[in-house]
Amino acid sequence: MRPFSYDRAHDLASAIRAASAQVEVQNRAPIQFLAGGTNLLDLMKIDVMRPERLVDINPLEDSLSEIVADGDGLRLGGLARMSTVAHHPDVEKNYPVLSQSLKLAASAQLRNMASLAGNVLQRTRCSYFRDVSWGACNKREPGSGCAAIGGVNRKHAVLGTSPHCIATYPGDFAQALIALDATVEITGPKGERRIPVHELHRLPGDTPHIENTLAAGEIITAFQIPRKAWAKRSLYLKVRDRESYEFAVASAAVALDLADGVVRDVRIALGGVATIPWRAVAAEEVLKGKPLTEDIARSAAEAAFEPARTHGENDFKPELGRNTLVRALLDAAKLEA
Amino acid sequence: MNAPTTFDGGMIGRPTPRIDGRLKVTGTACYPSDFPLEDTAYAYLVTSAIARGRIKAIHLEEAQQVEGVLDILTYENTKGKVRKVRAFSGGGYTSTTIMPMDSPKVWHDGQIVAVVVAETYEAAREAAHKVHVEYDERKPKPGFDKRRPQPRQISNPLSSSDPQTGDAETAFQHADVKVEAYYTTPTQHHNPIELFTTTCTWSGDQLTIYEPSQFVHGLKNGVAKQLNMNPEKVRVISPFVGGAFGSKAALTPRTAFVALAAKRLNRPVKLVPTRSQSFDVSTYRAETQHLVKLGADRNGRLTSLHHEGWEVSSRPDNYKVAGTETTSLLYACPNIYTKVHIVHADRNTPGFMRSPAEVPYVYALESAMDELATALGMDPVELRRINDTMVNPIDQKPYSSRALMACYDRAAEAFGWSKRNPEPGSMHDGDWLIGWGCATACYPTNVAPAQARVTLAPNGRARVQTAGHDIGTGAYTAIALTAADRLGVPLENVNVELGDSSLPPAPVAGGSNATASICNAVAMACDEIRERLAQGAVHADGQLAGADPGDLRLSQGKLVAPDGKSEPLKEAIMRLGFGPVEAHAKYTPEIASAPVKLMGHKLIEGGISAMTSGSSVKDHVQYAFGAEFVEVRIHKRTREIRVPRIVGAFAAGRIVSPTTARSQLLGGLIWGVASALHEATEIDERVARYVNDDLAEYLIPVCADIKDVEVIFVPEEDHQVNALGIKGLGELGNVGTNAAVANAVYHATGRRIRDLPIRIEDLL
Amino acid sequence: MDTFSPLKAAPLSRRAGTRDTIEVVLNVNGRNHRLAVDPRVTLLDALREHLGLTGSKKGCDQGQCGACTIHVDGRRVLSCLTLVAMVEGKAVTTIEGLAPEEGGLHPMQQAFLDHDAFQCGYCTPGQIMSAVACVREGLATTDDDIREYMSGNLCRCAAYPNIVEAIKQARAEMEEQP
Repeated sequence: MRPFSYDRAHDLASAIRAASAQVEVQNRAPIQFLAGGTNLLDLMKIDVMRPERLVDINPLEDSLSEIVADGDGLRLGGLARMSTVAHHPDVEKNYPVLSQSLKLAASAQLRNMASLAGNVLQRTRCSYFRDVSWGACNKREPGSGCAAIGGVNRKHAVLGTSPHCIATYPGDFAQALIALDATVEITGPKGERRIPVHELHRLPGDTPHIENTLAAGEIITAFQIPRKAWAKRSLYLKVRDRESYEFAVASAAVALDLADGVVRDVRIALGGVATIPWRAVAAEEVLKGKPLTEDIARSAAEAAFEPARTHGENDFKPELGRNTLVRALLDAAKLEA
Repeated sequence: MNAPTTFDGGMIGRPTPRIDGRLKVTGTACYPSDFPLEDTAYAYLVTSAIARGRIKAIHLEEAQQVEGVLDILTYENTKGKVRKVRAFSGGGYTSTTIMPMDSPKVWHDGQIVAVVVAETYEAAREAAHKVHVEYDERKPKPGFDKRRPQPRQISNPLSSSDPQTGDAETAFQHADVKVEAYYTTPTQHHNPIELFTTTCTWSGDQLTIYEPSQFVHGLKNGVAKQLNMNPEKVRVISPFVGGAFGSKAALTPRTAFVALAAKRLNRPVKLVPTRSQSFDVSTYRAETQHLVKLGADRNGRLTSLHHEGWEVSSRPDNYKVAGTETTSLLYACPNIYTKVHIVHADRNTPGFMRSPAEVPYVYALESAMDELATALGMDPVELRRINDTMVNPIDQKPYSSRALMACYDRAAEAFGWSKRNPEPGSMHDGDWLIGWGCATACYPTNVAPAQARVTLAPNGRARVQTAGHDIGTGAYTAIALTAADRLGVPLENVNVELGDSSLPPAPVAGGSNATASICNAVAMACDEIRERLAQGAVHADGQLAGADPGDLRLSQGKLVAPDGKSEPLKEAIMRLGFGPVEAHAKYTPEIASAPVKLMGHKLIEGGISAMTSGSSVKDHVQYAFGAEFVEVRIHKRTREIRVPRIVGAFAAGRIVSPTTARSQLLGGLIWGVASALHEATEIDERVARYVNDDLAEYLIPVCADIKDVEVIFVPEEDHQVNALGIKGLGELGNVGTNAAVANAVYHATGRRIRDLPIRIEDLL
Repeated sequence: MDTFSPLKAAPLSRRAGTRDTIEVVLNVNGRNHRLAVDPRVTLLDALREHLGLTGSKKGCDQGQCGACTIHVDGRRVLSCLTLVAMVEGKAVTTIEGLAPEEGGLHPMQQAFLDHDAFQCGYCTPGQIMSAVACVREGLATTDDDIREYMSGNLCRCAAYPNIVEAIKQARAEMEEQP
């Protein structure tokens, strides 16, 4: 861990001001916001991230961690802790996919620490990224190559990959947000803006070190989840080698608007198999207007993984991903709306 | 042989909370890195980023500029400072003969290449990240070739020969029913939750080492040899060990460097390696391959057994576990062929990991037995019954005791095995396929010379001192129960001191020998005290005057004659002089060979365990046995594999401390599940480097993975194994469990997975 | 055993030569400690290396094992991923401060002892701190819930079934005497 100076932010504006002047963004930004710290401090200890200054935004928790549920939907403050949201009765009852994706992530302790905003921005678990003794990692060191291609890549992505990076996006909650058509509220040096959550993350392409569309100094202040017909008939299915405390091998967030067994509308986002929280639009299209049978679910899953590219050890992932999606869809269809 | 005499007090075998439990639940148990030492400096390792080659240059300038950096050790300033010492597996001390920082040579990934010492942990870590090493890298060999069988390579000429009898090949050709298959087990790491810490401090020429250890006398003598010191000038303190499982048995290279650093700075130096570094700082279970061929007649009687194993070792060392010693004597069979091969690679030297030989080898055999049962259309339990034996089929030596089938019967009943539909894929619960499988557990009863000092005070308080180790095994409690039993005092009156090399030597806490070895020594010391008190009493003018000293027993704080006459302990002790009575016993195993009987205590005093294996006793073989049954559930779509139910029944001689013994077997069974489904260290074959070197990616079970686990003790008396009749069980529970899981997976799905771990992708 | 009860913490010499020292008042187990430390110091290292409170254990130092679990304002968190500066003004409770009275045991500590819910004991302080919070959070309702919500604490000795039994015993007592 490199030396850094530590400051506490006492209002949003000064936090943004503190971080807005820097040229380099994201991984290499010398000024980083510190919220739960569960990802940032870990990466600093192993020398992957080397900020010179930490701006502790936890003092803003009072204003940035509100949970508001009303007839229009749900608004979750960016600094709300994962556990608080996961066990919020309204979230559990009316937005099950959100609650489940949080409860199935990390551990109780980490969920008590980690903020929602930090969670959706969490970095990949790719071992080649996380260990600086590996020379080749385009995400860590642009232009250095990708050791995971041709290496140990069982847990790596099959969707959204590029010749430069196949690192998996490891989170769960962002998929749940995408499945509910959520938007993210961002405040930055230029004021406030809102974008759909599925526009927050960037495909690796030839710039895998740039993982999202946030500019310097921008802070995620809240997530807005509309209360739509599919919200209650939603679930998060996470498949992994052990029962708990593991990142997904494959996962699916699904939200279904069903009428008499026919899909009126649907949202699907996949985890554990893609470089970003992956909205499976092609699968959604297959399902719309169709009765939700096993065959249709299977066709949708085929469509979702049609663009998959595998790399050896993860050759099994398209099949597992398809099975996961089929299971999730059929389970969701059984839920009460 | 001073065989312990009568039993009394009923303390041996009594369930009791751990006597060290209170310290553990209050956070006051002092693990080696918990000892506060004034003015401590902090060390941080820099480890190799290549597996094979040479260091071209080490650039320290940037690191040295970090404020607070005190010293940086590299081969340039440590060369020749640490002497080469024989490896543990060759009758010496060290985990490897590789000498890091003695030359620019790199033998394996993660080899220590520099040690940075600074005023603070934070400064040491920062500076270590600023050490830049340039390598001259050569293409390494990561392990096995992809093809099978492995090319034959050197076997260790020093090891015992491969057990063989009859003509296995011909018998196999003519067998009515045969199975033949390859099985593999992966690289695994012990990953005790306590890291491999070392703190060294010098006081003049006296070195004190705080390091979690399974063998403080070995560590003491080994470091003394490495640093060319008188062993009496080295003290190792390790009262509590935060898990070990074999990884803290042999002396690893790090210790000497921390000692050197402390010497150079003349202040205490503390090293806490990272979790990632812990994959290379100590040892690991090497990957294995097996070819098993079984032939049987139509009734299921084995006619031929062929077990060939391949194991990976480092370039310079011939470490191997050679589990065919066990698999060749497990079942009756007239024709047996076994062979073990070592494949050398650019890897660290592997080492003992809980049930080193049995976990991989019994896995292969017990999987093959299940395949044979399937081929015969026979119940797998019945196949074991038909081939049960009371003699070693290789040389006809009898088992001292063997309750394998009693274990099967008890466990099968508790599990409900009779309700199993043998048809694969026939059992399910909603979307979950159910499979039931079983396998044999066994482990040799090893015993070693051990010493103990017991002191009994007039107030009835006893003190037991021995340099044994409680690595979670319950040694403190088992030893206290033994002393309370033999001295006739309450358990709470017994104080036990372990884990300090200034105490009388005890063997390595490995090979499941510790309870048998140490408790026999403790019982001997107690008996000597009883004898002295009795002699005093019968020759004095008291209640017991004229009684036969051999008849007197210590019971409930009194010295008691069979006729009920007695005198208080205080009186009996005070008669022998002021203060407590003390005895120092040296126990030599009854089963030891003549040289060990002669030299055993010299060896243990010099830090060599001199353990006699249960498979190499002169006139018999001694093993503990068990039978294990598991239920697996596999989702029909997404193929997650879960193990909601495990039953194990075990016969392991006299159980000294049932509470802690049960916990060990429980933990062992869960280890077996992990071995089957979770644990594997992934190697990047291109560069022979570990990849998943942390606890998020190297999976061990979490609480949610484990539901019902039942441990059944099958009573067993065996006084041939040692005077107290103790068979070890720390390594028994996790033998065979991996096979039971694999067999259950077959039963659930009809798919035979022979390469561990079994994962989702194997069943899609 | 008493030869190995913890030694008194040695007074720490003020460490020379570290830059950017920050002053933090740390409230641990009801006592305030004034520390001048490198901002990089984690709460775990502050407890262990600066305050002599070694009950909290380092098993991975990266949030993957749970051995360092402590309470901050009553919530269970990982002290290895918390900077000491982040808990200023908050109440930190460690295993050393769990028992209601000096020399006594919290019902959870007693339950772990009664059920042999550990072997080597290294993960135990973290398990117990996590278990106490799990009960207080109201998440220890069923066996399956206990297992799930205790899955952030690895036990390599695999005492899990005994841990679940211990938590059930302590839960009953904690519910009687909240």
